[in-house]
Amino acid sequence: MGRVELRSPLIVASGPGGMGEYMAFINPSHIGAYILKTITLHPKEGSTPPRLYSTDRFIINRIGLENPGIDRFVEDVKRGIYDELFEKVPVILSIGGDTHSEYMEATQRAFSILPRFTSVEYNFSCPNVESGGLSMVADRGALVDVMKEVRNMVKNTPILAKFGIEGIFVEEASDMVAEMGWDGITLINTIRGLVKTPEGKIIRGGISGSVLKPISLRAVYEVRRRHPSLFIMASGGVYTGDDVRLFLEMGADAVQIGSALFKDPSIIESIYRDIKGE
Amino acid sequence: MKEYKNTTIHIKDTFPLTDDTYIMTIREEIEFSPGQFLMIETPYRSTRKPFILGFFGEDIAISVHVKGEGTSWIVRQRALKAHFPLGRAFMPPPGRGITIVSPASFTFGCVMFRIFASDVLVGTRKPLKTPVPFPSALGDEDFKKAIEDIKGGYDYYVVNGSRGMERFVYSEIGENVWVSMEEYMACGIGACKGCAIKTAGGIRHVCIDGPLFRGDEIIWEG
Repeated sequence: MGRVELRSPLIVASGPGGMGEYMAFINPSHIGAYILKTITLHPKEGSTPPRLYSTDRFIINRIGLENPGIDRFVEDVKRGIYDELFEKVPVILSIGGDTHSEYMEATQRAFSILPRFTSVEYNFSCPNVESGGLSMVADRGALVDVMKEVRNMVKNTPILAKFGIEGIFVEEASDMVAEMGWDGITLINTIRGLVKTPEGKIIRGGISGSVLKPISLRAVYEVRRRHPSLFIMASGGVYTGDDVRLFLEMGADAVQIGSALFKDPSIIESIYRDIKGE
Repeated sequence: MKEYKNTTIHIKDTFPLTDDTYIMTIREEIEFSPGQFLMIETPYRSTRKPFILGFFGEDIAISVHVKGEGTSWIVRQRALKAHFPLGRAFMPPPGRGITIVSPASFTFGCVMFRIFASDVLVGTRKPLKTPVPFPSALGDEDFKKAIEDIKGGYDYYVVNGSRGMERFVYSEIGENVWVSMEEYMACGIGACKGCAIKTAGGIRHVCIDGPLFRGDEIIWEG
């Protein structure tokens, strides 16, 4: 990846992967990295329940970026809470925010722990938070400023930008990533949707699951055509070894596995065996 | 890091407890603590379904209330993919207790009986088709009367049933009531934060903080 070598193209996605819990089911040597849940400047309690609902093809979630905030997270890293995870696998930090200043401030406060991470994935696309994610993308000026300033600030750790397909075309997003010297792009995030549960509750959240696969494949394909050497991490609808092969064929350098973990917490092991022909 | 098993479990026997709830006994020796659960994969959901672990007779067992395609499919299987044990072990306070269960959590009542010598009351809307060694209350009126009868007679009350049943018992008895919370769940291991519930102490998660909570912790909404 840019300045980092991955020992496997399989990556645990931010969000579903939590804070390393799935390592209980994964052989460390079978994944290239584990991306932690997005951390924001301020602690977030997350959305009010219900937070998710699933069908056979998709999951809708409105977790709302529940996280302890960057200060507490940095403290936890320094206290050794994640030492076991760091020892086992390369770990990627995910940073999110609602505004330009939140991204910058969170980055600043994380600075002392960045050497522990293989890279940082900036989540510019979480559609769950009313004023975050999408509005950041929608405010192109602020997005450009964040990307420029983060690149200037973080010189020794590879940085990835995670974009969805809403609020910005992936072609434009990838141009920005390339022009500003970022190390790669993650495509895509969940897509906004709405479900009425059998109990009559309405969930407005992000759609993930196998239904995303053709959409994320197209995003990867278009960006690869446009940027032959840009590092691309695919995310969205990956459930099988065939899926991984297809994403790699369409131009991905690595493939994230997220919601599939809910179907089978050991699914990365099955996929690994499949792609290795074991 | 916690240790879990993710494997295929084999069903020894499946039989109806009521006309829509089944007991499924499991061949494997599963190590679990009271209150812990497993999650079962089905072809009908992108997430697994949680079921509280328990006993029926000498066997490890789960109760399955058939509500849709997924649960209908589960009760027809002889082998199921599942991960376990999940959730926080429940330890009741000292003293004499009673566990009030619906048919869908009957096997949990058997755990409380066997491990803590808790009395058990089965509250059911449908007649039981299988004899059980505990008293039962059939229908809402019978159940209300049973709760009136036990009120004040125990040091603790544990309720594992529908949200309506749990809310009713909590509102009638108030103190020293524990309830088993249900919320849509995806991972079962604390990773996804999907199974959040509101409590007096803020957001908590059924899969790692529960499933059993003190009734006075819960913010009863909806």
